[in-house]
Amino acid sequence: MTTKVLRLNVNGEDTLVPVGPMATLQEVLRDKLELTSVKVGCAQGGCGSCSVLIDGELRLACLTPAEAADGCTVTTLEGLNESNSIVPIQQSFIENYAAQCGFCTPGMLVATKALLERNPKPSRDEIIEALSGNLCRCTGYLPIIKAVEDAAAALSGKQSA
Amino acid sequence: MPEYIRSGSVEEAVGLIAEHGSSLWIMGGGTIVMQVLESGADYWQYIMGLDGLALDGIERANGSWRLGATATATQIRAQPDLPALAAAARMVGGPALQNAATVGGNIYARSPQGDLAVVLLALDARLHLATADGEQAPSLGEFYDDWEAAGRTPPGLLTAIEFAEPAGEVVFMKCGRRRFNSASVISVAVNVAQKDGKVTEARIALCGAGPHAQRCAAAEEAILGGKLDDAAIARAAAAAAAACAPVTDTVASEWYRRRMVGVYLRRALAQLA
Ligand SMILES: Cc1cc2nc3c(=O)[nH]c(=O)nc-3n(C[C@H](O)[C@H](O)[C@H](O)COP(=O)(O)OP(=O)(O)OC[C@H]3O[C@@H](n4cnc5c(N)ncnc54)[C@H](O)[C@@H]3O)c2cc1C
Ligand code: FES
Ligand code: FES
Repeated sequence: MTTKVLRLNVNGEDTLVPVGPMATLQEVLRDKLELTSVKVGCAQGGCGSCSVLIDGELRLACLTPAEAADGCTVTTLEGLNESNSIVPIQQSFIENYAAQCGFCTPGMLVATKALLERNPKPSRDEIIEALSGNLCRCTGYLPIIKAVEDAAAALSGKQSA
Repeated sequence: MPEYIRSGSVEEAVGLIAEHGSSLWIMGGGTIVMQVLESGADYWQYIMGLDGLALDGIERANGSWRLGATATATQIRAQPDLPALAAAARMVGGPALQNAATVGGNIYARSPQGDLAVVLLALDARLHLATADGEQAPSLGEFYDDWEAAGRTPPGLLTAIEFAEPAGEVVFMKCGRRRFNSASVISVAVNVAQKDGKVTEARIALCGAGPHAQRCAAAEEAILGGKLDDAAIARAAAAAAAACAPVTDTVASEWYRRRMVGVYLRRALAQLA
């Protein structure tokens, strides 16, 4: 079994990681770098719980071979936490009771962050579409959508409706 | 587990495909390949990624479009001048998936996947395949015929997809279980040109109604040459429902798919009547 050493910038830090053949980015982030906000819901691209940013773009870590991310910048929820850039979104999730078991929440937060970077004032329909790849099995989507609406309003400085 | 390899050029990639034959599997965005690998299948010695080949350009020149094979659904949905193809790209999974899913991979996807391929069939697209025997440029329809005849996908590296600026109006419609991020029950694409109240050109393609996306000659014949009125549309819808060969899977039954082929083809054609 050949091991390759990848050069990744993960959450702002340059890291060299040895990986086995066809290891997924999900395995590398969770098992080697202990970034367990990256969940393993389905490992089939269907749930969004492994959402991360690769070079700023929303991607599914389970469908990404770690080697395809060699040389890239990878951001997980831990990284967004460190920069504090996610706090208003988290606050809004708390206030709206948008997390019950919390399993889907990291993916929801990363997808929300990706949306608001691209589109700071999304409509309700745009929020629904932007989160359509992220499944929640227990909270229900209405509080989550409301949380994103409120976070967008707070971040763009207008009063929440 | 197979080894992940990359090539530095299309020539090198073609050489690797020729050298390793069926022990090498090409990976575009990996949204299908990775699913298969994660489900435990590991027949391959090599997975060849296409990143680094710069095959993701989208160009429009001299009345035709050229999509690089690794152009993503996200890139395609941002093309306002390709409304039907953009609408289909928007319906491929969710946004994170669209950032990975390539148009090239969609052509090789098995039904009911193939929402981009079904529009490309209606656009009569031509493929550019780099093979050890040189470049080949079959139409997408011929490519699928070869696939069926040989029982496996034609060998080679798909580098680009080309089609002329459509003469007619193109409509894509998808029947899914949810509004966004929903596997297709079926999808349909129609490309119809009309002159003096008569249909002069008709290309109708179905996805989820056979092993891969395919044209439906019976439905095309039902509207060609006449007025696109309710009767003609009903004939086309009935012909498509009768001619198609959908499968039953976890998304929908064969019966339901056949019904939806008729319903959605009728709705799509009604937009052009
Ligand atoms: C959750 C989920 C939802 C999905 N929803 C949809 C949907 O709604 N509609 C839909 O159509 N599809 C859907 N798909 C399927 C898939 O994502 C798309 O079909 C996508 O376009 C495939 O492209 P890819 O680049 O990821 O393919 P890959 O996985 O990279 O490759 C797929 C196949 O194409 C071959 N291939 C890829 N590129 C080339 C090339 N350049 N030359 C030769 N062979 C090549 C590969 O060898 C492989 O056999 C979904 C998948 C998932 C996981
Ligand atoms: S674990 Fe990646 S999408 Fe479900
Ligand atoms: S909070 Fe439990 S799955 Fe979403």
